[in-house]
Amino acid sequence: MVEKVTDIDETADAFSRARSEGNVAEEPAAAGRSDQNGARMREPIFDCHDVNVHYGDKLAVRNVNMALGQNAITALIGPSGCGKSTFIRCLNRMNDLIPSARVDGKVVYHGEDLYGADIDPVSVRKRIGMVFQKPNPFPKSIYDNIAFGPRIMGTKGNMDEIVERALKRGALWEDVKDRLKDNAFGMSGGQQQRLCIARALALEPDVLLMDEPCSALDPISTGRIEDLMEELKQNYSIVIVTHNMQQAARVSDMTAFFTVELDGDTGHRTGAVVEYDRTDKIFQNPSDKRTEDYVTGKVG
Amino acid sequence: MPVRPALRTRFQEELRTLEDQALGALDMVVSTLDRALEALSHQDVELASIVIHDDDRIDGRFLEVHQGILSLLALQAPVASDLRVVAALLHTIKHAERMGDQCVNIAKLIPLSGHEPPRNKQLMELIEQMGVLARSEVKQAKQAFALRDVEVAEDLVRQDQRINKLNRDAFKLGVEIGTDEDTREWAMHMMLVARALERIGDNAVDIGEQVAFVVTGLFREFSDASRSAQHDS
Repeated sequence: MVEKVTDIDETADAFSRARSEGNVAEEPAAAGRSDQNGARMREPIFDCHDVNVHYGDKLAVRNVNMALGQNAITALIGPSGCGKSTFIRCLNRMNDLIPSARVDGKVVYHGEDLYGADIDPVSVRKRIGMVFQKPNPFPKSIYDNIAFGPRIMGTKGNMDEIVERALKRGALWEDVKDRLKDNAFGMSGGQQQRLCIARALALEPDVLLMDEPCSALDPISTGRIEDLMEELKQNYSIVIVTHNMQQAARVSDMTAFFTVELDGDTGHRTGAVVEYDRTDKIFQNPSDKRTEDYVTGKVG
Repeated sequence: MPVRPALRTRFQEELRTLEDQALGALDMVVSTLDRALEALSHQDVELASIVIHDDDRIDGRFLEVHQGILSLLALQAPVASDLRVVAALLHTIKHAERMGDQCVNIAKLIPLSGHEPPRNKQLMELIEQMGVLARSEVKQAKQAFALRDVEVAEDLVRQDQRINKLNRDAFKLGVEIGTDEDTREWAMHMMLVARALERIGDNAVDIGEQVAFVVTGLFREFSDASRSAQHDS
């Protein structure tokens, strides 16, 4: 084997910590090799320590210890109710918007505690953009959809240029440059989703969280979004929740498999990370039998 | 309408890289074979030992392509013509690895045949001709794959029949080589060299069959190995 470029020692440290918690494989990607695509994960962008999420008095996700790589695509997979969406929402404090939700533990973002007392959730969401399952453009023109965020944030600069740059990054510019004033609802589903991605990019974030961004799209639009993610990875870090295992396999560098644990006494279900490793490892030779059974389709 | 870029570009790039790596292994085989044949012609034991050690490179390439193909299958789920290319590359890299081993077999025989072996010029010429043909078959197999050219692939059978004929001729010569013990021992070693070259030819034909599979989607053997030898000539 030809050894590829490696420069991921910091990530390796984060891994070894996660490993000691028992939810990462013995030989993760970071142990001296780069991921399958040679992505250089210089340092983790998120470093999660003992993250627990409660809804009311019910524990929804327990004990997540994971370091997510910079300029990498991390996929979260697992059956329904395994807490992957709940977890991704911790990464930009979206759970703050649910009154009963409580996040314990630490989410360190660029070395800072995301849930620290002095952190403004709005500025967090500006740096950490999110794209949802169903495209949700505003009932406005294509142009205004993109300009909305920068205007609210009081972004300086030429708005036409900001809009053009965001649409280009969202791989949408060629499709819509002659109809920027048209209503966004007139676009196809795939275009609307790319508009939502472009809208998030207009705020110059450095992380893009995607919660099942393609599940409402046809295969061609899905392919376009996946190619776009590959491009965006150069400048952004991406975390994607997906029900589509093949999508996780195709696009991601690292994959975390979540599962649901059933408490026999209370009947209560809690999500937890079973295995977190290089995507090619997860799909070729996972360390945990539960991961193997899930990716081979033996259990849902 | 704006020009639509191709989809799944990363996958297509990975597949192309794998093909380049696998076909590149055939180039490695050609240069290894050149050296093995040169070592044979000049009874160059040192060069023979380089050939033996250098086989690690081809083995390394085999592992690299093999792992790459497993990743591609696991992560990208190729279908249709892409799937056929992946399957054919898996065969091709295995054949390349086998051909590399045959070169090692030749190289290992060189020191065994002694410092100044009692060579038979006629037999040596037959084997050198086989070497030239085997080399050209490997190159042609690569070309056929790269161009997806079934005609070029099928033409390998014609060349291979010539190698097989030379192999039989060499065998006859070997049997009749005389009573001198050293000469007979040398001739036995040369039979093994001829056998290795003949196998390289067979591997090249097998790659040709993979080319036809990639193009047509149907696998068929170009020539039936179970046929009797005289039909081959």
